[in-house]
Amino acid sequence: MTATTFTNITNEQRQANREYQRRQHRRKFVEKILVTLLTLVIVVVFVFPIFYWARLSITPYKYVFTIPPRFDFPATTTAWWNVVMGQKSYSDVMLEQVGGNTGVGGAGTSGYDIRPRIVNSVSIAGLSTLVVMIVATFTAYALSRFDMRFKQNIVFFVLSTRFMPGVAVVLPLYLMYREIGLYDTRFGLILAHVVINLPIAVLLLKSFFDDVPRDLDDAAMVDGCTRFGAFWRIIVRYVAPGLAAAAVLCFIFSWNEFLFSLYLTRTPELQTVPVTIRTYDASAGTTEWGLMSAAGTAAVIPVFIFVLFVQRYLIRGLTLGAVRG
Amino acid sequence: MANRIAAQSELSLKGNQKRRHFWSSENPVFWLAPAVVFLFLYSIFPLLFNLYRSLYEFSSSKKVWVFVELRNWIKLFTDDSRFINALGITLQYVAIALVVELLLGLLIALLLDSKPWASGLMQTLIILPMVTAPAVAGLMFRLLEHSEFGVLSILAYSTGILIKDEPLMGGTGKYALVSVLIVDIWQWTPFFILIILAGLKGMPLEVLEAAEVDGANWFQRLTRIKIPLLFGVITVAILFRLVDLFKVFDYIAIMTAGGPALRSESVSYYSFVNTFAQVKWGYGATIGVVIMAMAWLSAWVYQKVFHLKW
Repeated sequence: MTATTFTNITNEQRQANREYQRRQHRRKFVEKILVTLLTLVIVVVFVFPIFYWARLSITPYKYVFTIPPRFDFPATTTAWWNVVMGQKSYSDVMLEQVGGNTGVGGAGTSGYDIRPRIVNSVSIAGLSTLVVMIVATFTAYALSRFDMRFKQNIVFFVLSTRFMPGVAVVLPLYLMYREIGLYDTRFGLILAHVVINLPIAVLLLKSFFDDVPRDLDDAAMVDGCTRFGAFWRIIVRYVAPGLAAAAVLCFIFSWNEFLFSLYLTRTPELQTVPVTIRTYDASAGTTEWGLMSAAGTAAVIPVFIFVLFVQRYLIRGLTLGAVRG
Repeated sequence: MANRIAAQSELSLKGNQKRRHFWSSENPVFWLAPAVVFLFLYSIFPLLFNLYRSLYEFSSSKKVWVFVELRNWIKLFTDDSRFINALGITLQYVAIALVVELLLGLLIALLLDSKPWASGLMQTLIILPMVTAPAVAGLMFRLLEHSEFGVLSILAYSTGILIKDEPLMGGTGKYALVSVLIVDIWQWTPFFILIILAGLKGMPLEVLEAAEVDGANWFQRLTRIKIPLLFGVITVAILFRLVDLFKVFDYIAIMTAGGPALRSESVSYYSFVNTFAQVKWGYGATIGVVIMAMAWLSAWVYQKVFHLKW
């Protein structure tokens, strides 16, 4: 049947068909170019602020505020990085850059050195992530595996803490911390970051545990494991990638956190990177754009590198496991 | 084989009898207790504290809490135009940001889904705004929106969208809210893009192909098939943005400090001004209760209406 229809096709028809397919191909090709260009423009718009900010950090003062604005890299320097990295004093760099006394002076090398704050931020984010992961893994496993009363209520309770408005929490926490002596301590801030990240980690990990079939637990327990043994020896190993992703996300959230870090610490030594960058603003009556951009770039680059590894899980993390990207 | 059956029946017997010892790892209490204690600190405690302290006011001169009955509440609801202003601004902010981010996100996600070259790389790049620290993002845009040197401002002046007397930031504050909204849209449109993209990727291809064969054009396929199928992921995205938008604080603190003339002051920022700048802790706690109630209620109602499950 098909053979007869095939032989009935004339050469002209074949030609026309080929022509049609070629045209379709070309249309698809043009379409693809247009779509790519359009998307590229959009991506450029989204990346531009970051690019401009990073550019500012390696551009001498006199090329920063020009009209019309420039986007190239004239006379690339590491001047601001020298200050932020504690290699040179701020007043030296200002002399170099502006070529005269700016009247700002004053601030020495240590005032703008970001490195101790990075160490501080890493320790706070790292320790809080560690605690979050330990607590959240147990909770997530229980919420995923046990059939218990009020389970939905507990899940919603965890979810609702994710929705807590920070400003409404920070005042009670601040006053309580002052009472019990946790105010302006690293431990206090770590604790605050733990509770901020806990609901995210719990529900995200629950979604990872839900992906592991329950039969695995049952099999382990039939073979003589206790519930804890099944959890620790078998199931945790299966969700290891999920654990890693959740840990990286918690680290990023803690690293970026602003409100609690701002209000639960006072001494500069305990301030995290985002809070420190804000102090460069109007620190000596002027806005230190160069320094802010250098420090800001230093704050976002590690996050950009980290996020490459957890890209796949980012949406899942931000929606607490509701949408699996 | 027989062994296994025996083991299984034993297991199910155990399950049926529900004979659990309290001190066993089968008891969920031990698994849940640490997290619940931590979360208590973050939700129930602040709520109770705020409720309790809303009946007091802190006297910063005498350093004592003074009982003021319901005066804080009465003031908040009857005699505080600044709160009403902040509430209006917050609602405006939430509505505009949500609509713009959703529409932009949908459009860009559809673009990225139509398979341009290097779509993977582009997706990675589009994630970057989302993971930038909000404080740093605020500073980035304060530079871009600088009334003299900002790239965005200069662009707006040269295209005639804005005039120099009425800049994005500063001036009389006509565009103060817009200047903050721009950062929010820049940072969180990618959230919608990625979430909708995830939805588009999980879409059943047969349905779309069937529609194409049946002669549905691009627009019909979008409105009749894709958007209805995306409904689930979009509701989740809106839920998370909704509650986060209600508590907008970082951008306002970094960029405008609520000004000029309170034209960009959100409820969160107003509560913060009360508690930390003016040391009216009792009044700040009162506003805190209201914000919590707003966030919880909106999340709860939303979750009920759209039957979200976790």
